[in-house]
Amino acid sequence: MIGYRCLIAAGVALAAVPSLALADESTRVALVPGGPHPYFAAWEQAGADAAAEFGLGAADYKVPQKWELGLQNQMLESLVTQGYNAFLVFPGDPVGTVAIADELADTGAPVMALAGCLKDPSNAVFCMGTDTGNSAYLGTKELLAVLGEGAKIAHFTGFLVDPNTQLRIDAVEQAATEGGAEVIQVIADIDAPEPAEEKINAYLAAHADDVDGIITTAWVPAVVASNALRKIGDKRIQMVGIDHDEVVLGAIKDGFVHGTMLQNPYGQGYIGSFAADKLRSGCTVKADALFKSNALTEKFIDSGTVFAGVDDVDNYVASMQSITEELFGTFEATYLDC
Amino acid sequence: MSLMVSPDRADEGAGAARDTGEAPERELGPNAPLRFLLSNEFGLIILIILFAVIFSTLSPAFLSKFSLYALGRNAAVNIMIGFSMMVVIITGGLNLSVGSIGVTSAMFGGWLMQALGVPWVLGLLGGLAMGAALGAINGVIIVRSGLHSFIITLATMSIFFGVMIFLTQAESYREISPTLAGFGRLKILSVLSPLLVTSVVVGIALSVLFRFTALGREMLASGANPHAAELSGIRVERMISYCHMLSGMLAALAGLMLVSRTGAAIPSMAGQLGQDWLLPAFLGPVLGGTLLTGGRVSVLGTLLGAFLVTMLTSGLLLMQVGAFWVQTYLGLLLLAAVLLDLARRSYLAQRKLV
Amino acid sequence: MRKVWQSDWFGPFAITLLAIVIVGVANPSFLSPFNIQILLLAISVNAMIAFSQMIIIAIGQMNLSVGAIGGLAAISFGGMMEVWGIPWPIAAILALMIGLLAGIANGAFVAFTGISAFVITLASLSVFKGINLGITEAQPFYKVPETVKALGNETFLHPLPWLVIPAVLVAVLLWYMLFRLPLGRNILAVGGNTHAAELSGISVPQIVTVAHAISGFLAALAGIMLVGRLQLGQPTIGDDWLILSFAAPVIGGAILTGGKVSVAGTFLGVAIVAIITQVLVLFNIDPFLVQVVLGGLILWAVGMNRWREVRAERQAVAAGT
Repeated sequence: MIGYRCLIAAGVALAAVPSLALADESTRVALVPGGPHPYFAAWEQAGADAAAEFGLGAADYKVPQKWELGLQNQMLESLVTQGYNAFLVFPGDPVGTVAIADELADTGAPVMALAGCLKDPSNAVFCMGTDTGNSAYLGTKELLAVLGEGAKIAHFTGFLVDPNTQLRIDAVEQAATEGGAEVIQVIADIDAPEPAEEKINAYLAAHADDVDGIITTAWVPAVVASNALRKIGDKRIQMVGIDHDEVVLGAIKDGFVHGTMLQNPYGQGYIGSFAADKLRSGCTVKADALFKSNALTEKFIDSGTVFAGVDDVDNYVASMQSITEELFGTFEATYLDC
Repeated sequence: MSLMVSPDRADEGAGAARDTGEAPERELGPNAPLRFLLSNEFGLIILIILFAVIFSTLSPAFLSKFSLYALGRNAAVNIMIGFSMMVVIITGGLNLSVGSIGVTSAMFGGWLMQALGVPWVLGLLGGLAMGAALGAINGVIIVRSGLHSFIITLATMSIFFGVMIFLTQAESYREISPTLAGFGRLKILSVLSPLLVTSVVVGIALSVLFRFTALGREMLASGANPHAAELSGIRVERMISYCHMLSGMLAALAGLMLVSRTGAAIPSMAGQLGQDWLLPAFLGPVLGGTLLTGGRVSVLGTLLGAFLVTMLTSGLLLMQVGAFWVQTYLGLLLLAAVLLDLARRSYLAQRKLV
Repeated sequence: MRKVWQSDWFGPFAITLLAIVIVGVANPSFLSPFNIQILLLAISVNAMIAFSQMIIIAIGQMNLSVGAIGGLAAISFGGMMEVWGIPWPIAAILALMIGLLAGIANGAFVAFTGISAFVITLASLSVFKGINLGITEAQPFYKVPETVKALGNETFLHPLPWLVIPAVLVAVLLWYMLFRLPLGRNILAVGGNTHAAELSGISVPQIVTVAHAISGFLAALAGIMLVGRLQLGQPTIGDDWLILSFAAPVIGGAILTGGKVSVAGTFLGVAIVAIITQVLVLFNIDPFLVQVVLGGLILWAVGMNRWREVRAERQAVAAGT
């Protein structure tokens, strides 16, 4: 993991040199997830690196105590009082967080939705994250490629309050229908170890024989399912996971899991901090910028996703790094007016 | 009622029964100033001022308009939650289901507004009615079975939440009436939140209820000494049911205030089974001097207590104590509060004898 | 024969048996060795949680901090092994000590200040949970030794998992203590009628402290067992223990005012809850309904206990006692 960050930082810093002239030391960025979760760990390093390289006043990772909207709101209100003036936020709820985002924007701070989008209309300048629908779609297609016709698959996914969950459920369903397969079970709201452990194990204990493949579109279920398949041991059930937890990568190498869909949390935090600083230094978002749109918003920037199978596992860092570099290289030109 | 007080404190409970109602300082003229100074409410005011000074010294932005506005708005919800528990505590009982009732009622209101498209007024009224209904269910079961409110509300907390989650499939209602959502974001003079005004108005109403109406006095009497109350013609069982109904309505109001603030009705607003409201629900009344044995109430105390707790939470976050340590401090605060209260009451009791 | 019929554990036992038969017929995979293993794992841990609360119900009080103590012990266990590299048996003993101390703190406060156990344990619940979160920042400790993971999941005699051993051991020891040793009799006496117990020379503060200490110890043990089963030192361990810790003893016939608990009944109560939870998954019934079922079970159980109590009183009055 250390190597990953250094490589990306080095590569991207070179591209950043011309922008340093406009860096603003009074910019204090806060990166705020919806609650504690291993996915966001990369944000902390990304913020620190961005602050160092672009000369920001701060780019700090602040986590609410629990996955609760009220706590995230209180944290954000407190951060305003503490002097932060740019916010990268994973919405605790796609609509519920619009209120606080608008209040933050009213204080003059640029607000960005990161890794999860707010529902339009909102005062967030844009949303940058994985196109989770697309990622789930591609992942399911990869899974179906190794299963036969008429396969039966189970889908384990994340929190119901996560804006991405419904997008993923719909995408998996679509990919399955197109591939002639059937989603026989969806278990959601299990992006935490205890419920994931309980429900995934109970499900497999009862229905392992009915299932040909598993697609997981959230970090913790991917880890738990990988362990469960390892325990079952017969490698009959195929699986495609998500993210880069060591457990999942190890299971891919040992043949229990077919592959994983990588996301780009580091890139989100790094580029997000850069953009926040730019917006505070007088740049604005281009009116005619080529945003993508998803079910929640029309101002979406894809931070990239890629499939990693057994051959790519050892170099997954490089895969993500190249996506981040590419995105960063064209970011200012594509989206900002400076 | 024996679950609330250890037997060697039973005489304390009897002592409380003797001075039913609020502000006993009115009865003891010459000692009134001293009593007020030693009273809970004054102590809380001092603490609030003290902490405000401390926090603003450490971080001048604490007194900024935005900060005060946010503080007031957050306090408003905690105050309402405290009131909800307070009206049950006066009966000598507990209501563990405040969170569950709050969320369920708010989700019901949300459903009315989104699925049935009713205007926000009806959504609000529907939510309040649901809260009253759920509270009434609690009250009736408690009164009919004679079982302690702890175990009953522990069970109903689970049932209400479970049914709500099942019916909503844990999905939020996001198309809330814009008027209601706007209310939560309104700023009066840039510092005051209308939600805080709502809580204060409700507080005044409750004060009037307990001080000046027969209904309120009967509720207090039923909690202080149910036997004596029954003998003097008060229908104790009915009073207890009313208290629980009122508690449910206040919990529903708290939930609806949260919906207004966020602009969406989210099932996790009070945590799993509504557990997250338990600590604020007790901190307000206990800090405010409402006795857990029942029969005494301090509406002002509950309001000040809840405000102090919100201020402390805000201050702790500001001092970079780390969001993760806040709960420890609140627990220590509760402990300190009950110990101090114990010390204060035994000191006052001694003075009465002397 | 009549004694068996009226004993506390008969009802729950009959229900458990009935449930197993019905479900086993409806879905044979319920009785598969893998499923029995999973069921026993759940029962073993939950039994410990239930016993932790049961001992406090026995003295007529309640312990809201059962989950918080369990969580604190769990992360201490995980943290000591991962951060300080302490071998797991020693880490386990230290974590159990933490639970014991937490329980003693609870008991001492209750006994010597006279403030109700409800308020004390509400405060201590926040303190312990807060310490837990402060140390872990909500991130689990991932590095759990293989032995611990194995003990938490594997079987020693298919399909009996290792975790069954501490559960059964504790059950037997608790039963023996409560119903055969003076300490146990004193505990039940304090719960049944504190004043009378005091008059007959029992030191109530001492008994209260001991009961809370045992409760803390058992809660910590449950936490440690869960670390093995989940294979993580997870900070949220204990968050959902409250309802379960009351449901099982109450289904097993415990009276909340104190003095009357049943070890076997509690154990069977745990089994019933575990079976119901599994059944809901097995038949694809919405898992959200588990909460409703648990709440309903509690209401039914306390109602039944109350009814039996009232009936026993009436019989005593009728018999002229």
